[in-house]
Amino acid sequence: MLEIEKIFKRIIQRVNINLRDLAFDVSPFVTGHIDLEQMNKFYAFYGITSDIPLDLKLIHSSLAGSYFLGKCRVTDSLLYKSDIRGDELKRKDSTFQYKNFNIDLTEDELIDIKTSALIKTLVHNYSHDPETPERFFIKNTLSLDYANIHGSPSDGCFLGPFATVDLTTMRDCVIGAYSFIQAGEINHLEVNPGTIWVNSPGQFNFLYQYPADKLQHYIQVTAGGYPQGLLIDFIEEHEESFNRVFDAANLENTIKVPETASLDRYAVVLPSTKICENVLVAQRAYLENSYLGRGSNAQENCFIINSHLQGCNVTAHGAKIVEADLQSNVFVGFNSFLYGKQGSRISIGTGSIVMPHTIIDCKESLSIPADTLLWGLITNQAELEMNSIQLDDLRKINTSTNQGNMHFEGHGASFVEAFRHRVNHILEANGAFFHEHNNNVKGHAQNNRKLSLNTIQPFLFGEMQGVYPDITILPQG
Amino acid sequence: MNKYTVKDLMVPISEYATVPIGTTLFGAILALEEAQENFDHGKYQHRAILVLDDKNKVVGRLSQLRVLNAMDAADNYSRYEQLKIFKFSDTHIEKVSEKDRLARKIFTEEALKKVAKKLVNEFMQKPNPDEYVAETSAIDMAIHKMAAGAHQSLLATRGDEIVGVLRLSDVFAATFHTLKELEVV
Repeated sequence: MLEIEKIFKRIIQRVNINLRDLAFDVSPFVTGHIDLEQMNKFYAFYGITSDIPLDLKLIHSSLAGSYFLGKCRVTDSLLYKSDIRGDELKRKDSTFQYKNFNIDLTEDELIDIKTSALIKTLVHNYSHDPETPERFFIKNTLSLDYANIHGSPSDGCFLGPFATVDLTTMRDCVIGAYSFIQAGEINHLEVNPGTIWVNSPGQFNFLYQYPADKLQHYIQVTAGGYPQGLLIDFIEEHEESFNRVFDAANLENTIKVPETASLDRYAVVLPSTKICENVLVAQRAYLENSYLGRGSNAQENCFIINSHLQGCNVTAHGAKIVEADLQSNVFVGFNSFLYGKQGSRISIGTGSIVMPHTIIDCKESLSIPADTLLWGLITNQAELEMNSIQLDDLRKINTSTNQGNMHFEGHGASFVEAFRHRVNHILEANGAFFHEHNNNVKGHAQNNRKLSLNTIQPFLFGEMQGVYPDITILPQG
Repeated sequence: MNKYTVKDLMVPISEYATVPIGTTLFGAILALEEAQENFDHGKYQHRAILVLDDKNKVVGRLSQLRVLNAMDAADNYSRYEQLKIFKFSDTHIEKVSEKDRLARKIFTEEALKKVAKKLVNEFMQKPNPDEYVAETSAIDMAIHKMAAGAHQSLLATRGDEIVGVLRLSDVFAATFHTLKELEVV
């Protein structure tokens, strides 16, 4: 048996042990899902920049096609085409504020991945757990295609395809396909596919659950089979363009990028696309015939096609925008799928918030007014009315409400302000507000221009085929 | 005084109402009726149905109250369960349930037929760890578990196998007979 097979089997066993209380067996979902014998064909790569601590320890792992930035340790794991982005980790001597605690950090925070398999997964942000402020751990965890582990330490969990866990420590949980969870802490929880849950105890509680039969059209995963559905088909249609950027050693920029913006070397940009100042385009983003106005961003695994983003638009990890016109300051959450068509475009007014994991798939033009909150599945005007609310109306809610499959309880104003604050923070961190009149405070858009990339290779033959040698990378001896 | 064990009082699993997982609610009620007809020990009727997996292992229990819940909630039962899991308050769940109740009638031909076709999987309760008791245990242990957990019955085990059901009614009857024998004045 190849060493990589032993690593993978051990991971599956560890995850299953953690999930035994839920009687959940991950084996049928992952066995055969990736071809372990092909893992020697993909190189891994890491970023170097003077602004982010360089400290990588890669031990007894397979890292095919994965990317690392910042302080990361990977042990006994299998990472396939995953992005481990440590550019927002907390720094030594800084203070992490959690409720009434001011927690001083004595060392740089570390992303610590152990006995885990992450397939096409994004790991980003930092640990929001006050009990582990210097260690963003991912242990005994298995995640499938296009999952996002965002600021969420994890122990003994399974994330289905397109699942996102945001700012939440999770232990022994199963997160179904296309679910989004932001709840601070969850334990021994099995979340059905298509569950969108944002909970801040004492403040607000938002829940939407996709109708199971309708979600299957977009994503479904069954034991023993590969993930299927329109979301997978859509990505596969564009895969060839990514092969070109990953296969080429050097690529010439096909478009002009302003000095204050950054376009990642592993992004796809097709004509005729315009990138304005302070724009951030991350690796594995796909832009085609689109306009990204000042301060907008396209994060990992985003697709922006035939669309116009006026400015300061956040397109969060994995979001897809097709045939759409977004006015300024529109937030499009994780893995959302705004799927307009030629002749039936989607237009969204200023300041609107598209909740994470929203699908707008219309055969008629949809016009969404400014300052609207949108969620769930919207395929026509009637569903738009059912699955949206004006932010001013939401602010007035102080008890609870229910619209279709959406339930909200708590203070609407707190919910709106929390989102506004988060969006503003994302824009700031991404460098959207960089300006000489703003003290030239830089963000990722400016800092990433100074990033260079190195590649590392696995063993090509023999028992260790596809596994990388143990590697430690430090700035100097 | 008779020192009862669980085995002395339990109903053997072979005499209890059981259905395979995937049975409809109507099928489960028929199984309960059939088990009752074949069961002639004492005057107390079975009040629950055990749900078995394909290896004949007990994976759930369906009580009479659970069947009424199914009728009351119809399509919304699992929705209320989800709201509980995702930490919505009882006030909100009651508000939603009241809205649903006003929108539909329970005791109509159409509604009853619809409920009858639903599967037991949706409404059964998974046994909790404190609902098991070894068949060799003294009755004291069973009384303690029933009282502490407010259980109507316990699952009697032999090793990993469930071999019977100990009902509250049988434990109560045994206690009552013993008290009578003691001639308490």
